[in-house]
This record gives sequence, structure tokens and C-alpha cells, in this order.
Amino acid sequence: MNERESGPWFGEFGGSFAPETLMASLNELDEAWRTDGQSAGFRAELAGLLRDYAGRATPLTPARRLSAELGCEGWLKREDLLHTGAHKLNNALGQALLASRMGKTRILAETGAGQHGVATATACALLGLECVVFMGSVDADRQRPNLLRMELLGARVELVEHGQRTLKDAINEALRTWVGDPAAHYLLGSALGPHPFPALVAGFQQVIGVEARRQVLEQAGALPQVVVACVGGGSNAIGLFRAFVDDEGVELVGVEAGGEGIAGGRHAARFQGGLPGVLHGCHTWLLQDEDGQILPTHSVSAGLDYPAVGPEHAQLQADGRATYSACEDAQALEAFDTLARLEGIIPALESSHALGWVMEERAELAGKRVLINLSGRGDKDLASVFALRGKGNP
Amino acid sequence: MSAADETPPTDELLAGNRLVRATQALRERDARGIAPYLTAGDGGLESTLAVLHALDQGGAHCIELGLPFSDPIADGPVLQAASARALDTGTTLPETLEMLRAFRAAGGGVPVALMSYANPLLRHGLDETVERAAAAGADALIVPDIPLEEGALLVGACATAGVCPVFFAAPTSSDERIRRAGARSRGFLYVVGRTGVTGGGTTFDAHTQSFLARARGLSAAPIAVGFGIATPADVRAATTHADLAIVGTALVRRLHRTEAAPDARAGAAAAFLAELQAGLA
Ligand SMILES: Cc1ncc(COP(=O)(O)O)c(C=O)c1O
Repeated sequence: MNERESGPWFGEFGGSFAPETLMASLNELDEAWRTDGQSAGFRAELAGLLRDYAGRATPLTPARRLSAELGCEGWLKREDLLHTGAHKLNNALGQALLASRMGKTRILAETGAGQHGVATATACALLGLECVVFMGSVDADRQRPNLLRMELLGARVELVEHGQRTLKDAINEALRTWVGDPAAHYLLGSALGPHPFPALVAGFQQVIGVEARRQVLEQAGALPQVVVACVGGGSNAIGLFRAFVDDEGVELVGVEAGGEGIAGGRHAARFQGGLPGVLHGCHTWLLQDEDGQILPTHSVSAGLDYPAVGPEHAQLQADGRATYSACEDAQALEAFDTLARLEGIIPALESSHALGWVMEERAELAGKRVLINLSGRGDKDLASVFALRGKGNP
Repeated sequence: MSAADETPPTDELLAGNRLVRATQALRERDARGIAPYLTAGDGGLESTLAVLHALDQGGAHCIELGLPFSDPIADGPVLQAASARALDTGTTLPETLEMLRAFRAAGGGVPVALMSYANPLLRHGLDETVERAAAAGADALIVPDIPLEEGALLVGACATAGVCPVFFAAPTSSDERIRRAGARSRGFLYVVGRTGVTGGGTTFDAHTQSFLARARGLSAAPIAVGFGIATPADVRAATTHADLAIVGTALVRRLHRTEAAPDARAGAAAAFLAELQAGLA
């Protein structure tokens, strides 16, 4: 592992801003990740699970009709085809395996869109671990299929009824529960939180970029000019970006949730409307008010509806290596429909933000080879999309 | 964020610090004390001011004054709700410091340890905020999401302002961590009595007592134990080894059950403190 891969600091972002009660568990996890997590035995076992159980490598699909429509050369990294339907399983399997090798028997997790909850419940079923998932009740309503899946998989879902009742509040409750039960493993679902989580999660997600880079070289014969991913906490994006960071000519673009527009304040675009600060254990860009209180967020997509961004993205932005843009709800919903009709792929609303940005920027992207992370599939979103249509949305 | 100075404030700088003097005095007399906790602005800052005076006059040895935060990850339901109520009434950090200044101006003499999650402090500028807090009359700063790993930030900000940096020890902390936390803390080391968030009950059984004895033995600073202390019997048990017993959730619950008028809250606080004092040997 090099410096970038092991943290705790990504430039001036990251760190270990956690209560003392958790420090022993965080340090134990860091130690396990540095030792067992880097061992040939662990790597082989995880690679076997990713291949034979999860279905890696996922394909890289040329988006022919979309490309013709937009006038660029679009390639889709198909994390939607991974078992459970999103990239989240890469991290859930990695952490659950590490935790089980550490002798942990109980797993705590938060979930927003429900994909991380489903992935964690799946990994726990596979490895015989007890699983408790915290989910805001607003998210449980809008991602109901995933709630049912978690229950089928044997997880206990704890609905969180305070705050905005979305992802941030689910993380608060998971952290509090972990403070009371530090012998459990907290299986954090994105590349955020206190050290070692940002590095650990990115480490398990970088398989996306490693595969995609190899595939695009094989299939297109060249690197892409632009690499695009949606950014909630930032795990699918960092998993893709890491492989291209050293390719100077490759532009990296992260797309945050523009919600109903930045100006009105109802969004989750941290780099547009935020400032650096500390939330959930790390120093990074946050949506906050003048007194340092965390602001409510809004996105049509539960997985992007979160006020902080992973610290490695904050560093990539500070270094000018990646740029971060926003896609509003309406454009994401349009992209959701467009991909379904042109490619026969129903994308997750999260991934639709990356697609929506590409569609918005079609003039700029004309003629360019664009690699888009299709982080998940959209079956979970059908009910909310149709409900929004009933309210006069596209 | 740069790793600032690692050296805590010097003894000279802290010579006049109310908290240092109070905990030293307790040690000299082999006595114990009570440190009530309340959330600033829960019931309005006017009520908070009245409660501070009541606790001061009632003989509290230190007051832990919590600044509300939107996402208090180390707090249980009662203190979460108190934070939310305080934010709903518009409580901010600058106004809380103004209230503290008014408390001092009116003769309030009890040591005050401010507790805040990191983000509001950082948003207002950590060093500037600690300077302003010191000027307003704060004696110590407790930040539950700044552990030793990021401690240079806290120590650095406190060193120049003459404020006591307070770190935590928990039942999960190794001896080595408790020793380091005690060495970097001034005034007291905050010992979390149980593995969990604030509120809930702490059973002062042999296991807890041996942890508290371990912390007392390892810490160069006096120790305050908190989390789940609610009754005079808890105070008695907690102060077998600890210099100070911090009573938070139980007081906040008691205050919230009383009407928000400053006089009513002050009366409730004084009465509860008097009850708890029966637990001091
Ligand atoms: C399909 C999908 N993509 C993206 C995200 C956003 O998370 P991250 O930014 O960590 O990839 C989620 C989160 O739930 C998701 O389910």
C-alpha cells in the first residue's frame, strides 16, 4: 500500500475524529487491514468470492445508441451486473471477510439507498455473520424493495426516526450503536468516516477501476479522455478514479446531487455549497450553516442524499486532479429514462446522475471517449420514479 | 489542518484557571465533587444562565456546558433531544459565549468546562474560538470527537488561551492510551464510566470500579467520571475513585420536565444538586 492507499490523511482531509470508546476498534481494524488484509491468503479468498460468488469481472459495455444520440463515445462500467445490483458488494464482501477473519460475529451497517444494506446482509448471510442495518425511515419508504430484501436475507433492519430520517441519521445511529458495542464490526458503506474507513473502502472498490482501465484499453484500444462517476460518500467514484489518477490526460469528473438546484439550497452538492469541516469522523467538505451545524440535504436519490463527501475526493479536488459537478433531480430522471430506452439498461437513480451530467455536457464531450460508472441498477427506484411522474415530473 | 503545538498549557499559564484550582483543592482535601452537565440553550439561554447561577450558588464544583450540535454521535436520546431543542430555539456558539460572559460579569465563579463537537469550533475557527471562550470565562474544553490522534489541534488551541484541554478515557482504552490522555489533559481527564453513549445506566460494580481505579492510577490529571450517573448512590459509587462525578442526562431530563421559565429551571437545578450532594461522603 502506498500513502494514498493507507491514509489517515489525504492532504488536509480525513483523520480520526471519533469518540475515544471507538478508537480501540478503529485501530484494531486498521491493524487487521494492514496485515491480514494485505496477505496473499486474504486476497486470494476475496478474489475467489468476487469471481465465483459476486460475478466479477463486470463487463464494460459500449453504449452504442446513447453514443450516437450524444455524439460522444460512451462506455459503461457495469456494476449494475454485480450480484445484488450495485458496486456496494465489493466493499461489503471485503470488510465482512476481514471482520470474520478478525473473529467478529456481529456486523452493524447503515444504508441510504438500501444497496449497501442489501450487500452487507448478503455478505453476512454468506459468511454466517449476524447483521443489523440502520436505515432512515424516509429512505425505507422510498427504497422499499431493498428493505424487503434485507429482511429476506436475515438482517435485522432498525428504522431511524430522528433528524431527516435519511443516510446521515442512519450513520449517526450506527455509530452510536457501535460505541455501545465496540466488539461488533461496523461495516461502513462508503469511502468516508474515521480512518481507516476511507482508505479501506476505497481499497475494496478499486477493483472497479483496475478492471475498467484494462477493459477500455482492450476494447477501445485507448484510454478514455473523461471518466465520470456519481459521488454520494464517494466509494464507486474513488474505486474508478484511483486507476486513472496517474494517467495525466484523463479527466476525472465526480457528479454530486444537484437536487432542486444549488441556489435554492435543496441539494447535496458539497463542493458547490459546502465548506470543509468535521462530520462522522473525518475532515472534509460538508454542507453546514454559519454556526457549523450540519444542513439538511435533498436528492431524488437516497444514495447521494448526504451532507459530507469522502476525504480522498476532497483532496483530488484541492489538488485540481478531479473536478466535481452537480446534476439536478430532473436531469437525473431524464437520464434514467434515456438509458432504459436507448440501451435496455435501467440505471440506479444514483448512477443516473453521472449519466445526466454526460447528457447535459454533450456539447463539451462531443467526439470524446467517456467512461461512465454505472454503479447500480434501478429496480429499487421504480416506485419512487413512477410516484414522481404522477406529480408531473418527466 | 496542521498538527499544532503538542504541549499543553504551562502550569504558569493555568495558575489562575478556576478548574485547575478547584480540582487541586479537592485533591488536597482528599474530597470529591459534583460537576453537573447541561446543554446550552435547552429551554433558551436565559434559562441556561439562571441554571448556571443556581448550580454555582448550590456548590457545584464545576459545570460542563454543552454546546448543541446537529449530529451528536456520542450522545443518547435525552441529550440528542436537548441539542435539537436548543438548536430549534436558535442557540449559537457566539450567543452561548455571550451568556457565559454575562454569567461571569454577574459574579458566577464556578469553573466552566465547555463541551462541543469539533465542527462548530472549526467553523468559527478553533484557535479564535478558544481565545474567545477563555475571554468569556471558560476554563476547559471537551471535544468528544477529538481523540488523542487529533489531539494536537485541541492542545494547540488551548495552550495559548490558558484553557484546559480535556481528553477521554473509556473502558476500551489501553493503559498506554489512558496514560497519554491523562498526561495531555489539564483540570481533569474525562473518564467514560461505561462502553456506550451518554444516558443509560452505569452499574458501579467491581468491574467498573476496577476500571476507574486503573484510570486514576494511570492519569496524571485528576479524573471526572461521567455517563449514566443519576442518583446520590451513583455519585457515592462514582467518587470512590474519581475526583468529580459528572451528572448530565439525569439533570437535563429533570430540567426538561420543569417549565422553561428561568426561575423554575433554576429551582429544579438547585434542588437536584442538593439531592445529589447527599452522595458526597
Ligand atoms: C447504485 C449506487 N450508486 C452510488 C451510490 C452512492 O454511494 P458512493 O458515492 O459511495 O458510491 C449508492 C449508494 O447507496 C448506490 O446505491
